Amino acid sequence: MATGFFTDATLCIGCKACEVACKQWNELPSDGFEFTGNSYDNTSQLSGTTWRHVDFVERESFDESGLKTSWSMVSDVCKHCTNAGCLEACPTGAIVRNEFGSVFVQPDICNGCGYCVVSCPFGVIDLIEAVGRGDDAKKYGLATLHDDRLNDRKTAVQATGGVAGKCSLCFDRQRVGMVPACAKACPTESIQFGEIEELHERAKRRVETLQERGVEARLYGADDIGGGIGALNAFFLLTESPEAYNLPVEPVLPSTRQTMGYAAAAAAALTLATIGWAIFRGDA
Amino acid sequence: MKSYYDRPLLKGPHWGANVVTYLFLGGIMGGLGLISLLSDDRPEPAMKKLRKATRYTAFALAAINPPILISHLGRPERFLNMLRIVKFKSPMSLGVWGLVLYSGAAGANALRELADDGIVPSALRYVAPSATVPIQALLGAFMAGYTGVLISATAIPLWAAGKRHIPAFSVCSGAASASALATLLSTLQGNHEVIPRLERLEMAASALEIVTIADFRKRGGRATAPLFEGRVGKRLRDYTILGGIVVPFVLNAVGGAVRLPKSIDALRSIAASMLTLIGGYVLRESLIEAGKLSANDPQAAFRQPS
Ligand code: SF4
Ligand code: SF4
Repeated sequence: MATGFFTDATLCIGCKACEVACKQWNELPSDGFEFTGNSYDNTSQLSGTTWRHVDFVERESFDESGLKTSWSMVSDVCKHCTNAGCLEACPTGAIVRNEFGSVFVQPDICNGCGYCVVSCPFGVIDLIEAVGRGDDAKKYGLATLHDDRLNDRKTAVQATGGVAGKCSLCFDRQRVGMVPACAKACPTESIQFGEIEELHERAKRRVETLQERGVEARLYGADDIGGGIGALNAFFLLTESPEAYNLPVEPVLPSTRQTMGYAAAAAAALTLATIGWAIFRGDA
Repeated sequence: MKSYYDRPLLKGPHWGANVVTYLFLGGIMGGLGLISLLSDDRPEPAMKKLRKATRYTAFALAAINPPILISHLGRPERFLNMLRIVKFKSPMSLGVWGLVLYSGAAGANALRELADDGIVPSALRYVAPSATVPIQALLGAFMAGYTGVLISATAIPLWAAGKRHIPAFSVCSGAASASALATLLSTLQGNHEVIPRLERLEMAASALEIVTIADFRKRGGRATAPLFEGRVGKRLRDYTILGGIVVPFVLNAVGGAVRLPKSIDALRSIAASMLTLIGGYVLRESLIEAGKLSANDPQAAFRQPS
Protein backbone atom coordinates (compact mmCIF):
# COMPACT_ATOMS: atom_id res chain seq x y z
CA MET A 1 0.00 0.00 0.00
CA ALA A 2 1.59 3.27 -1.12
CA THR A 3 1.89 6.13 1.28
CA GLY A 4 2.43 9.79 0.58
CA PHE A 5 1.85 13.40 1.52
CA PHE A 6 -1.12 15.68 0.96
CA THR A 7 0.11 19.23 1.48
CA ASP A 8 -2.61 21.87 1.75
CA ALA A 9 -1.74 25.50 0.98
CA THR A 10 -4.88 26.80 2.68
CA LEU A 11 -3.74 25.49 6.04
CA CYS A 12 -0.07 26.46 5.94
CA ILE A 13 0.88 29.31 8.26
CA GLY A 14 4.49 29.50 7.05
CA CYS A 15 6.05 28.51 10.37
CA LYS A 16 8.70 26.28 8.71
CA ALA A 17 8.38 23.68 11.46
CA CYS A 18 8.50 21.05 8.69
CA GLU A 19 11.84 22.36 7.42
CA VAL A 20 13.31 22.29 10.91
CA ALA A 21 11.90 18.87 11.83
CA CYS A 22 13.25 17.39 8.59
CA LYS A 23 16.71 18.85 9.12
CA GLN A 24 16.80 17.57 12.67
CA TRP A 25 15.55 14.06 12.02
CA ASN A 26 17.65 13.49 8.93
CA GLU A 27 20.68 15.30 10.35
CA LEU A 28 20.92 17.58 7.36
CA PRO A 29 23.47 20.37 7.54
CA SER A 30 22.66 24.00 6.91
CA ASP A 31 22.81 25.35 3.36
CA GLY A 32 24.03 28.66 4.73
CA PHE A 33 21.99 31.81 5.24
CA GLU A 34 21.16 34.22 2.50
CA PHE A 35 18.72 37.07 3.01
CA THR A 36 16.72 37.00 -0.19
CA GLY A 37 14.15 39.72 0.34
CA ASN A 38 11.59 37.38 -1.20
CA SER A 39 8.82 37.64 1.39
CA TYR A 40 9.77 35.40 4.34
CA ASP A 41 11.47 32.79 2.17
CA ASN A 42 15.18 32.63 2.85
CA THR A 43 15.40 28.91 2.13
CA SER A 44 14.73 29.57 -1.57
CA GLN A 45 14.71 26.04 -2.88
CA LEU A 46 14.88 22.34 -2.17
CA SER A 47 18.42 20.97 -2.26
CA GLY A 48 20.42 17.86 -1.54
CA THR A 49 20.30 18.82 2.12
CA THR A 50 16.98 20.69 2.26
CA TRP A 51 14.09 18.29 1.78
CA ARG A 52 11.17 20.56 2.72
CA HIS A 53 10.92 24.14 1.52
CA VAL A 54 8.09 26.52 2.36
CA ASP A 55 7.06 28.73 -0.56
CA PHE A 56 5.81 32.21 0.34
CA VAL A 57 3.65 33.66 -2.40
CA GLU A 58 3.12 37.26 -1.36
CA ARG A 59 0.86 39.67 -3.22
CA GLU A 60 0.04 43.29 -2.61
CA SER A 61 -2.95 45.12 -3.98
CA PHE A 62 -4.76 48.41 -3.42
CA ASP A 63 -8.46 48.98 -3.12
CA GLU A 64 -10.76 51.50 -1.31
CA SER A 65 -9.76 50.12 2.05
CA GLY A 66 -6.06 50.66 1.35
CA LEU A 67 -3.07 48.38 0.92
CA LYS A 68 -3.85 44.71 1.11
CA THR A 69 -1.29 41.95 1.43
CA SER A 70 -2.22 38.37 0.70
CA TRP A 71 -0.11 35.35 1.41
CA SER A 72 -0.26 31.82 0.22
CA MET A 73 2.25 29.42 1.67
CA VAL A 74 2.85 25.79 0.88
CA SER A 75 5.59 23.36 1.86
CA ASP A 76 7.26 21.91 -1.23
CA VAL A 77 8.83 18.45 -1.22
CA CYS A 78 9.93 15.64 -3.54
CA LYS A 79 6.82 14.47 -5.40
CA HIS A 80 7.63 10.74 -5.25
CA CYS A 81 6.40 10.47 -8.84
CA THR A 82 4.62 7.36 -10.13
CA ASN A 83 7.10 7.42 -13.03
CA ALA A 84 10.13 9.19 -11.60
CA GLY A 85 12.67 10.83 -13.88
CA CYS A 86 15.42 10.54 -11.26
CA LEU A 87 14.83 6.83 -10.72
CA GLU A 88 14.82 6.02 -14.44
CA ALA A 89 18.00 8.02 -15.08
CA CYS A 90 20.11 6.61 -12.25
CA PRO A 91 22.81 4.35 -13.81
CA THR A 92 23.83 2.65 -10.57
CA GLY A 93 20.37 1.62 -9.40
CA ALA A 94 20.92 3.72 -6.28
CA ILE A 95 17.43 5.16 -6.63
CA VAL A 96 14.73 2.59 -5.97
CA ARG A 97 11.05 2.41 -5.17
CA ASN A 98 10.65 1.07 -1.67
CA GLU A 99 7.88 -0.95 -0.08
CA PHE A 100 5.96 2.23 0.74
CA GLY A 101 5.88 3.25 -2.91
CA SER A 102 8.31 6.12 -2.26
CA VAL A 103 11.32 6.99 -4.39
CA PHE A 104 14.38 6.36 -2.23
CA VAL A 105 18.08 7.18 -2.80
CA GLN A 106 20.41 4.55 -1.33
CA PRO A 107 23.36 6.71 -0.30
CA ASP A 108 25.77 3.78 -0.18
CA ILE A 109 25.16 2.90 -3.85
CA CYS A 110 25.08 6.40 -5.40
CA ASN A 111 28.35 7.42 -7.05
CA GLY A 112 27.47 11.06 -7.54
CA CYS A 113 27.23 11.08 -11.33
CA GLY A 114 24.58 13.79 -11.13
CA TYR A 115 22.37 12.42 -13.89
CA CYS A 116 19.31 12.28 -11.63
CA VAL A 117 19.72 16.00 -10.93
CA VAL A 118 19.03 17.05 -14.52
CA SER A 119 16.39 14.34 -14.95
CA CYS A 120 13.92 15.53 -12.32
CA PRO A 121 11.15 17.54 -14.03
CA PHE A 122 10.49 19.33 -10.72
CA GLY A 123 14.06 20.40 -9.92
CA VAL A 124 14.02 18.54 -6.61
CA ILE A 125 17.01 16.22 -6.24
CA ASP A 126 20.52 17.68 -6.07
CA LEU A 127 24.06 16.60 -5.30
CA ILE A 128 25.35 17.17 -1.81
CA GLU A 129 28.69 18.88 -1.97
CA ALA A 130 31.50 16.50 -1.13
CA VAL A 131 32.66 17.38 2.33
CA GLY A 132 35.59 16.21 4.32
CA ARG A 133 35.39 14.71 7.75
CA GLY A 134 36.79 15.73 11.08
CA ASP A 135 37.90 19.35 11.04
CA ASP A 136 36.81 19.81 7.49
CA ALA A 137 33.32 18.68 8.33
CA LYS A 138 33.09 21.27 11.07
CA LYS A 139 33.85 23.93 8.55
CA TYR A 140 30.71 22.95 6.70
CA GLY A 141 28.58 23.11 9.80
CA LEU A 142 28.43 19.40 10.37
CA ALA A 143 29.57 19.65 13.97
CA THR A 144 26.09 18.72 15.11
CA LEU A 145 26.28 15.27 13.56
CA HIS A 146 26.69 12.41 15.97
CA ASP A 147 30.14 10.90 15.68
CA ASP A 148 28.82 7.45 14.92
CA ARG A 149 26.98 8.77 11.87
CA LEU A 150 29.87 10.92 10.83
CA ASN A 151 32.11 7.87 10.81
CA ASP A 152 29.63 5.49 9.25
CA ARG A 153 30.14 6.02 5.57
CA LYS A 154 27.28 3.69 4.85
CA THR A 155 24.40 5.63 6.31
CA ALA A 156 25.61 9.14 6.92
CA VAL A 157 24.79 10.74 3.57
CA GLN A 158 25.45 14.16 4.90
CA ALA A 159 28.72 13.23 6.54
CA THR A 160 30.60 12.53 3.36
CA GLY A 161 28.62 14.13 0.56
CA GLY A 162 29.42 13.68 -3.10
CA VAL A 163 26.13 11.86 -3.50
CA ALA A 164 22.59 12.83 -4.42
CA GLY A 165 20.07 13.77 -1.75
CA LYS A 166 16.34 14.34 -1.50
CA CYS A 167 13.32 13.54 0.68
CA SER A 168 13.20 9.87 1.70
CA LEU A 169 9.61 10.17 2.89
CA CYS A 170 11.21 9.22 6.21
CA PHE A 171 11.79 5.64 5.15
CA ASP A 172 13.42 4.90 8.49
CA ARG A 173 10.49 6.28 10.49
CA GLN A 174 7.90 4.58 8.31
CA ARG A 175 9.58 1.23 8.85
CA VAL A 176 8.93 1.43 12.55
CA GLY A 177 5.41 2.75 12.08
CA MET A 178 6.14 6.41 12.71
CA VAL A 179 4.79 9.37 10.78
CA PRO A 180 7.39 11.36 8.75
CA ALA A 181 8.99 14.14 10.78
CA CYS A 182 7.53 17.03 8.78
CA ALA A 183 3.94 15.78 8.99
CA LYS A 184 4.41 15.10 12.69
CA ALA A 185 5.70 18.60 13.34
CA CYS A 186 3.19 20.51 11.22
CA PRO A 187 0.95 22.33 13.75
CA THR A 188 -1.98 22.90 11.37
CA GLU A 189 -2.04 19.54 9.59
CA SER A 190 -1.24 21.33 6.37
CA ILE A 191 1.05 18.36 5.77
CA GLN A 192 -0.92 15.15 6.03
CA PHE A 193 0.68 11.75 5.77
CA GLY A 194 -1.17 8.54 5.00
CA GLU A 195 -2.20 6.00 2.44
CA ILE A 196 -2.60 7.55 -0.96
CA GLU A 197 -6.22 6.52 -1.55
CA GLU A 198 -7.31 7.88 1.74
CA LEU A 199 -5.41 11.12 1.18
CA HIS A 200 -7.14 11.48 -2.20
CA GLU A 201 -10.55 11.17 -0.56
CA ARG A 202 -9.63 13.75 2.03
CA ALA A 203 -8.22 16.11 -0.57
CA LYS A 204 -11.33 15.93 -2.74
CA ARG A 205 -13.58 16.63 0.23
CA ARG A 206 -11.34 19.54 1.19
CA VAL A 207 -11.54 21.07 -2.29
CA GLU A 208 -15.33 20.79 -2.23
CA THR A 209 -15.55 22.50 1.15
CA LEU A 210 -13.23 25.29 0.05
CA GLN A 211 -15.07 25.83 -3.23
CA GLU A 212 -18.36 26.08 -1.34
CA ARG A 213 -16.75 28.86 0.67
CA GLY A 214 -15.73 30.61 -2.52
CA VAL A 215 -12.02 29.77 -2.28
CA GLU A 216 -10.31 29.01 -5.54
CA ALA A 217 -8.76 25.66 -4.67
CA ARG A 218 -7.25 23.07 -6.99
CA LEU A 219 -5.29 19.87 -6.59
CA TYR A 220 -1.85 19.46 -8.11
CA GLY A 221 -0.66 15.94 -8.81
CA ALA A 222 -3.54 14.01 -7.21
CA ASP A 223 -4.49 12.68 -10.65
CA ASP A 224 -2.22 11.93 -13.59
CA ILE A 225 -0.22 15.10 -14.15
CA GLY A 226 0.56 14.23 -17.79
CA GLY A 227 3.82 14.04 -19.67
CA GLY A 228 4.13 10.36 -18.80
CA ILE A 229 4.75 11.06 -15.11
CA GLY A 230 1.44 9.82 -13.75
CA ALA A 231 0.11 10.87 -10.36
CA LEU A 232 2.34 12.22 -7.60
CA ASN A 233 2.55 10.42 -4.27
CA ALA A 234 3.19 13.80 -2.70
CA PHE A 235 0.44 16.04 -4.05
CA PHE A 236 -0.77 19.51 -3.18
CA LEU A 237 -3.81 21.71 -2.76
CA LEU A 238 -3.05 25.12 -4.22
CA THR A 239 -4.92 28.40 -4.42
CA GLU A 240 -2.83 29.93 -7.18
CA SER A 241 -1.59 28.57 -10.47
CA PRO A 242 1.39 26.20 -10.17
CA GLU A 243 3.93 28.73 -11.55
CA ALA A 244 3.32 30.95 -8.53
CA TYR A 245 4.82 28.20 -6.35
CA ASN A 246 7.59 27.39 -8.84
CA LEU A 247 5.88 24.18 -9.90
CA PRO A 248 5.78 23.19 -13.58
CA VAL A 249 2.40 23.42 -15.31
CA GLU A 250 3.27 20.76 -17.87
CA PRO A 251 6.11 18.59 -16.55
CA VAL A 252 7.40 15.87 -18.87
CA LEU A 253 9.10 12.58 -18.03
CA PRO A 254 12.53 12.94 -19.70
CA SER A 255 12.91 9.29 -20.74
CA THR A 256 9.97 9.67 -23.14
CA ARG A 257 12.32 11.48 -25.53
CA GLN A 258 14.80 8.63 -25.87
CA THR A 259 13.28 6.68 -28.75
CA MET A 260 13.24 9.78 -30.94
CA GLY A 261 16.80 10.61 -29.91
CA TYR A 262 18.21 7.18 -30.76
CA ALA A 263 16.31 7.21 -34.07
CA ALA A 264 17.78 10.60 -35.01
CA ALA A 265 21.30 9.45 -34.09
CA ALA A 266 20.87 6.25 -36.12
CA ALA A 267 19.61 8.19 -39.14
CA ALA A 268 22.63 10.51 -39.03
CA ALA A 269 25.04 7.59 -38.58
CA LEU A 270 23.49 5.65 -41.46
CA THR A 271 23.67 8.67 -43.76
CA LEU A 272 27.33 9.27 -42.97
CA ALA A 273 28.20 5.58 -43.29
CA THR A 274 26.62 5.49 -46.76
CA ILE A 275 28.46 8.62 -47.88
CA GLY A 276 31.68 7.29 -46.36
CA TRP A 277 31.27 3.98 -48.16
CA ALA A 278 30.89 5.81 -51.48
CA ILE A 279 33.96 7.96 -50.78
CA PHE A 280 36.23 5.14 -49.59
CA ARG A 281 35.01 2.08 -51.39
CA GLY A 282 32.93 3.41 -54.28
CA ASP A 283 35.62 2.26 -56.69
CA ALA A 284 36.01 -1.22 -55.26
CA MET B 1 4.68 36.60 -16.54
CA LYS B 2 4.07 34.53 -13.44
CA SER B 3 7.01 33.06 -11.60
CA TYR B 4 8.27 32.47 -8.08
CA TYR B 5 10.48 35.54 -7.64
CA ASP B 6 12.14 34.45 -10.88
CA ARG B 7 13.92 31.67 -9.00
CA PRO B 8 15.14 28.76 -11.13
CA LEU B 9 12.69 25.86 -11.17
CA LEU B 10 15.23 23.24 -12.22
CA LYS B 11 18.67 22.22 -11.02
CA GLY B 12 21.38 22.58 -13.63
CA PRO B 13 24.09 20.06 -14.47
CA HIS B 14 27.12 19.83 -12.18
CA TRP B 15 29.26 19.00 -15.18
CA GLY B 16 32.48 20.72 -16.16
CA ALA B 17 35.49 20.32 -18.43
CA ASN B 18 35.94 16.60 -17.72
CA VAL B 19 32.45 15.75 -18.93
CA VAL B 20 32.89 18.00 -21.99
CA THR B 21 36.14 16.18 -22.79
CA TYR B 22 34.45 12.82 -22.30
CA LEU B 23 31.66 13.73 -24.73
CA PHE B 24 34.16 15.09 -27.25
CA LEU B 25 36.45 12.06 -27.16
CA GLY B 26 33.43 9.73 -27.21
CA GLY B 27 32.37 11.34 -30.48
CA ILE B 28 35.85 10.88 -31.95
CA MET B 29 35.94 7.23 -30.86
CA GLY B 30 32.68 6.77 -32.70
CA GLY B 31 33.98 8.32 -35.92
CA LEU B 32 37.21 6.32 -35.77
CA GLY B 33 35.12 3.14 -35.67
CA LEU B 34 33.60 4.15 -38.99
CA ILE B 35 36.94 5.03 -40.63
CA SER B 36 38.44 1.78 -39.39
CA LEU B 37 35.59 -0.06 -41.13
CA LEU B 38 35.87 1.96 -44.34
CA SER B 39 39.61 1.31 -44.63
CA ASP B 40 39.32 -2.35 -43.65
CA ASP B 41 40.72 -5.11 -45.82
CA ARG B 42 42.01 -2.92 -48.67
CA PRO B 43 45.12 -3.85 -50.63
CA GLU B 44 46.57 -0.31 -50.98
CA PRO B 45 49.44 0.35 -48.52
CA ALA B 46 48.08 3.83 -47.79
CA MET B 47 44.74 2.38 -46.68
CA LYS B 48 46.52 -0.16 -44.56
CA LYS B 49 48.44 2.59 -42.84
CA LEU B 50 45.24 4.56 -42.21
CA ARG B 51 43.53 1.47 -40.88
CA LYS B 52 46.30 0.89 -38.38
CA ALA B 53 46.41 4.54 -37.33
CA THR B 54 42.66 4.63 -36.62
CA ARG B 55 42.70 1.36 -34.70
CA TYR B 56 45.62 2.27 -32.47
CA THR B 57 44.17 5.73 -31.82
CA ALA B 58 40.70 4.37 -31.06
CA PHE B 59 42.16 1.96 -28.57
CA ALA B 60 44.23 4.69 -26.94
CA LEU B 61 41.14 6.87 -26.57
CA ALA B 62 39.20 3.94 -25.16
CA ALA B 63 41.87 3.72 -22.48
CA ILE B 64 41.92 7.46 -21.71
CA ASN B 65 38.19 8.11 -21.62
CA PRO B 66 37.07 6.00 -18.65
CA PRO B 67 39.38 7.78 -16.15
CA ILE B 68 38.03 11.10 -17.44
CA LEU B 69 34.48 9.88 -16.88
CA ILE B 70 35.36 8.59 -13.43
CA SER B 71 36.96 11.87 -12.43
CA HIS B 72 33.64 13.72 -12.63
CA LEU B 73 31.87 11.50 -10.13
CA GLY B 74 31.15 12.77 -6.65
CA ARG B 75 32.39 9.40 -5.35
CA PRO B 76 34.88 8.14 -7.97
CA GLU B 77 35.70 5.02 -5.95
CA ARG B 78 32.16 3.86 -6.65
CA PHE B 79 32.49 3.93 -10.43
CA LEU B 80 32.00 0.19 -10.59
CA ASN B 81 28.49 0.61 -9.18
CA MET B 82 27.50 1.52 -12.73
CA LEU B 83 28.38 -2.02 -13.77
CA ARG B 84 26.06 -3.69 -11.31
CA ILE B 85 23.04 -3.21 -13.58
CA VAL B 86 22.05 -2.68 -17.21
CA LYS B 87 19.23 -0.18 -17.49
CA PHE B 88 17.63 0.39 -20.87
CA LYS B 89 15.76 3.46 -19.65
CA SER B 90 19.01 5.19 -18.63
CA PRO B 91 21.31 6.43 -21.44
CA MET B 92 23.99 6.92 -18.80
CA SER B 93 23.83 3.21 -17.96
CA LEU B 94 23.70 2.07 -21.59
CA GLY B 95 26.53 4.46 -22.39
CA VAL B 96 28.84 2.97 -19.81
CA TRP B 97 28.16 -0.49 -21.20
CA GLY B 98 28.66 0.89 -24.72
CA LEU B 99 32.04 2.22 -23.61
CA VAL B 100 33.02 -1.12 -22.07
CA LEU B 101 32.02 -3.10 -25.18
CA TYR B 102 33.57 -0.55 -27.53
CA SER B 103 36.83 -0.81 -25.63
CA GLY B 104 36.70 -4.57 -26.03
CA ALA B 105 36.15 -4.36 -29.78
CA ALA B 106 38.76 -1.62 -30.18
CA GLY B 107 41.19 -3.70 -28.14
CA ALA B 108 40.60 -6.74 -30.36
CA ASN B 109 41.19 -4.69 -33.49
CA ALA B 110 44.31 -3.09 -32.09
CA LEU B 111 45.58 -6.53 -31.06
CA ARG B 112 45.12 -7.86 -34.59
CA GLU B 113 47.12 -4.94 -35.97
CA LEU B 114 49.84 -5.49 -33.37
CA ALA B 115 50.05 -9.13 -34.47
CA ASP B 116 50.11 -7.99 -38.08
CA ASP B 117 53.00 -5.64 -37.28
CA GLY B 118 54.86 -8.44 -35.54
CA ILE B 119 54.85 -6.61 -32.21
CA VAL B 120 52.97 -9.44 -30.52
CA PRO B 121 53.07 -13.12 -31.61
CA SER B 122 51.12 -13.49 -34.82
CA ALA B 123 49.10 -16.36 -33.37
CA LEU B 124 47.28 -13.75 -31.27
CA ARG B 125 45.63 -12.61 -34.48
CA TYR B 126 43.23 -15.50 -34.15
CA VAL B 127 42.12 -14.38 -30.71
CA ALA B 128 40.54 -11.35 -32.36
CA PRO B 129 38.01 -12.29 -35.05
CA SER B 130 37.56 -9.82 -37.90
CA ALA B 131 33.89 -9.46 -36.98
CA THR B 132 35.08 -6.98 -34.36
CA VAL B 133 35.58 -4.40 -37.14
CA PRO B 134 31.90 -3.87 -38.00
CA ILE B 135 31.07 -4.36 -34.33
CA GLN B 136 33.40 -1.53 -33.37
CA ALA B 137 31.81 0.64 -36.07
CA LEU B 138 28.31 -0.10 -34.74
CA LEU B 139 29.28 0.51 -31.13
CA GLY B 140 31.08 3.63 -32.35
CA ALA B 141 27.90 4.99 -33.87
CA PHE B 142 26.26 4.36 -30.54
CA MET B 143 29.10 6.08 -28.66
CA ALA B 144 28.84 9.18 -30.83
CA GLY B 145 25.04 9.32 -30.58
CA TYR B 146 24.17 8.29 -27.06
CA THR B 147 25.75 11.36 -25.51
CA GLY B 148 23.23 13.42 -27.46
CA VAL B 149 20.38 11.20 -26.27
CA LEU B 150 21.76 11.38 -22.73
CA ILE B 151 21.49 15.13 -22.53
CA SER B 152 18.21 15.48 -24.43
CA ALA B 153 16.53 12.90 -22.17
CA THR B 154 16.66 15.35 -19.26
CA ALA B 155 14.40 18.10 -17.97
CA ILE B 156 16.73 20.93 -19.09
CA PRO B 157 14.57 22.87 -21.59
CA LEU B 158 17.34 23.54 -24.13
CA TRP B 159 18.46 19.92 -24.22
CA ALA B 160 14.91 18.58 -24.19
CA ALA B 161 13.96 20.80 -27.12
CA GLY B 162 16.82 19.22 -29.08
CA LYS B 163 15.69 15.62 -28.76
CA ARG B 164 16.13 15.06 -32.52
CA HIS B 165 18.75 17.67 -33.35
CA ILE B 166 21.29 17.14 -30.57
CA PRO B 167 21.79 13.38 -31.10
CA ALA B 168 22.02 13.94 -34.87
CA PHE B 169 24.59 16.71 -34.78
CA SER B 170 26.55 14.92 -32.06
CA VAL B 171 27.05 12.02 -34.48
CA CYS B 172 28.04 14.39 -37.29
CA SER B 173 30.44 16.33 -35.09
CA GLY B 174 32.03 13.08 -33.91
CA ALA B 175 32.53 11.87 -37.48
CA ALA B 176 33.97 15.24 -38.57
CA SER B 177 36.36 15.36 -35.60
CA ALA B 178 37.47 11.77 -36.20
CA SER B 179 38.16 12.53 -39.86
CA ALA B 180 40.10 15.60 -38.80
CA LEU B 181 42.15 13.60 -36.31
CA ALA B 182 42.84 10.90 -38.93
CA THR B 183 43.85 13.60 -41.42
CA LEU B 184 46.18 15.10 -38.86
CA LEU B 185 47.79 11.73 -38.10
CA SER B 186 48.09 10.84 -41.80
CA THR B 187 49.69 14.21 -42.58
CA LEU B 188 52.22 13.70 -39.81
CA GLN B 189 52.87 10.15 -41.05
CA GLY B 190 53.35 11.42 -44.61
CA ASN B 191 50.46 9.21 -45.71
CA HIS B 192 49.16 11.83 -48.14
CA GLU B 193 47.22 9.51 -50.41
CA VAL B 194 44.33 8.98 -48.01
CA ILE B 195 43.89 12.63 -47.15
CA PRO B 196 41.54 13.67 -50.01
CA ARG B 197 39.13 10.91 -49.01
CA LEU B 198 39.28 11.79 -45.32
CA GLU B 199 38.69 15.42 -46.12
CA ARG B 200 35.69 14.61 -48.25
CA LEU B 201 34.24 12.56 -45.42
CA GLU B 202 34.88 15.45 -43.06
CA MET B 203 33.15 17.87 -45.44
CA ALA B 204 30.09 15.63 -45.67
CA ALA B 205 29.86 15.28 -41.89
CA SER B 206 30.36 19.02 -41.30
CA ALA B 207 27.75 19.91 -43.91
CA LEU B 208 25.18 17.67 -42.26
CA GLU B 209 26.20 19.06 -38.87
CA ILE B 210 25.76 22.72 -39.80
CA VAL B 211 22.40 22.06 -41.46
CA THR B 212 21.15 20.30 -38.33
CA ILE B 213 22.41 23.05 -36.03
CA ALA B 214 20.79 25.70 -38.24
CA ASP B 215 17.51 23.80 -38.16
CA PHE B 216 17.71 23.59 -34.36
CA ARG B 217 18.27 27.31 -34.20
CA LYS B 218 15.31 27.97 -36.50
CA ARG B 219 13.07 26.16 -34.02
CA GLY B 220 13.71 29.25 -31.92
CA GLY B 221 11.90 30.16 -28.75
CA ARG B 222 12.92 30.54 -25.20
CA ALA B 223 14.30 27.05 -24.81
CA THR B 224 17.03 27.29 -27.45
CA ALA B 225 18.05 30.91 -26.80
CA PRO B 226 20.86 30.10 -24.31
CA LEU B 227 22.77 28.18 -26.97
CA PHE B 228 22.56 30.80 -29.69
CA GLU B 229 22.55 34.09 -27.82
CA GLY B 230 24.85 35.88 -25.43
CA ARG B 231 28.32 34.76 -24.44
CA VAL B 232 27.77 31.07 -25.23
CA GLY B 233 26.14 31.90 -28.55
CA LYS B 234 29.08 34.05 -29.58
CA ARG B 235 31.60 31.36 -28.68
CA LEU B 236 29.60 28.75 -30.56
CA ARG B 237 29.41 31.00 -33.60
CA ASP B 238 33.10 31.89 -33.61
CA TYR B 239 34.70 28.57 -32.73
CA THR B 240 32.23 25.96 -33.96
CA ILE B 241 30.17 27.43 -36.79
CA LEU B 242 32.79 29.69 -38.40
CA GLY B 243 36.11 28.37 -37.12
CA GLY B 244 35.14 24.73 -36.80
CA ILE B 245 32.90 24.18 -39.82
CA VAL B 246 32.90 26.98 -42.42
CA VAL B 247 36.63 27.73 -42.53
CA PRO B 248 37.78 24.06 -42.57
CA PHE B 249 35.14 23.31 -45.20
CA VAL B 250 36.56 26.04 -47.44
CA LEU B 251 40.14 24.88 -46.77
CA ASN B 252 39.19 21.30 -47.60
CA ALA B 253 37.34 22.40 -50.75
CA VAL B 254 40.40 24.36 -51.88
CA GLY B 255 42.60 21.34 -51.20
CA GLY B 256 40.30 19.19 -53.31
CA ALA B 257 40.14 21.65 -56.21
CA VAL B 258 43.63 23.14 -56.49
CA ARG B 259 47.00 21.40 -56.52
CA LEU B 260 49.05 23.17 -53.90
CA PRO B 261 52.77 22.66 -53.29
CA LYS B 262 53.27 19.76 -50.89
CA SER B 263 54.39 21.71 -47.83
CA ILE B 264 51.66 24.32 -48.18
CA ASP B 265 49.09 21.57 -48.65
CA ALA B 266 50.26 19.87 -45.48
CA LEU B 267 49.89 23.13 -43.58
CA ARG B 268 46.41 23.56 -45.01
CA SER B 269 45.41 20.07 -43.88
CA ILE B 270 46.81 20.60 -40.42
CA ALA B 271 45.07 23.96 -40.01
CA ALA B 272 41.73 22.59 -41.19
CA SER B 273 41.99 19.58 -38.90
CA MET B 274 42.95 21.57 -35.83
CA LEU B 275 40.12 24.03 -36.39
CA THR B 276 37.60 21.20 -36.79
CA LEU B 277 38.77 19.57 -33.56
CA ILE B 278 38.56 22.84 -31.62
CA GLY B 279 35.10 23.44 -33.06
CA GLY B 280 33.99 19.99 -31.97
CA TYR B 281 35.18 20.58 -28.42
CA VAL B 282 33.52 23.99 -28.20
CA LEU B 283 30.26 22.52 -29.49
CA ARG B 284 30.07 20.12 -26.54
CA GLU B 285 31.23 22.79 -24.13
CA SER B 286 28.58 25.22 -25.37
CA LEU B 287 25.88 22.58 -24.99
CA ILE B 288 26.79 22.00 -21.35
CA GLU B 289 27.25 25.68 -20.50
CA ALA B 290 24.02 26.69 -22.25
CA GLY B 291 22.29 23.85 -20.40
CA LYS B 292 23.24 25.51 -17.12
CA LEU B 293 21.76 28.82 -18.29
CA SER B 294 18.65 27.07 -19.55
CA ALA B 295 18.07 25.44 -16.16
CA ASN B 296 18.04 28.90 -14.58
CA ASP B 297 15.13 30.14 -16.69
CA PRO B 298 11.90 29.17 -14.92
CA GLN B 299 9.73 30.41 -17.79
CA ALA B 300 11.26 27.78 -20.09
CA ALA B 301 10.65 25.07 -17.48
CA PHE B 302 6.98 25.66 -16.62
CA ARG B 303 5.84 24.00 -19.84
CA GLN B 304 8.43 21.39 -20.75
CA PRO B 305 9.14 20.26 -24.32
CA SER B 306 7.35 17.01 -25.17
S1 SF4 C 1 10.02 14.87 -7.85
FE1 SF4 C 1 12.02 14.59 -8.85
S2 SF4 C 1 13.33 13.75 -7.24
FE2 SF4 C 1 11.19 13.44 -6.56
S3 SF4 C 1 10.62 11.38 -7.35
FE3 SF4 C 1 9.95 12.87 -8.90
S4 SF4 C 1 11.69 12.92 -10.34
FE4 SF4 C 1 12.49 12.01 -8.43
S1 SF4 D 1 24.00 10.89 -8.65
FE1 SF4 D 1 23.67 8.93 -7.56
S2 SF4 D 1 21.43 8.74 -7.39
FE2 SF4 D 1 21.85 10.33 -8.94
S3 SF4 D 1 21.84 9.22 -10.92
FE3 SF4 D 1 23.99 9.27 -10.23
S4 SF4 D 1 24.28 7.37 -9.09
FE4 SF4 D 1 22.04 7.65 -9.29
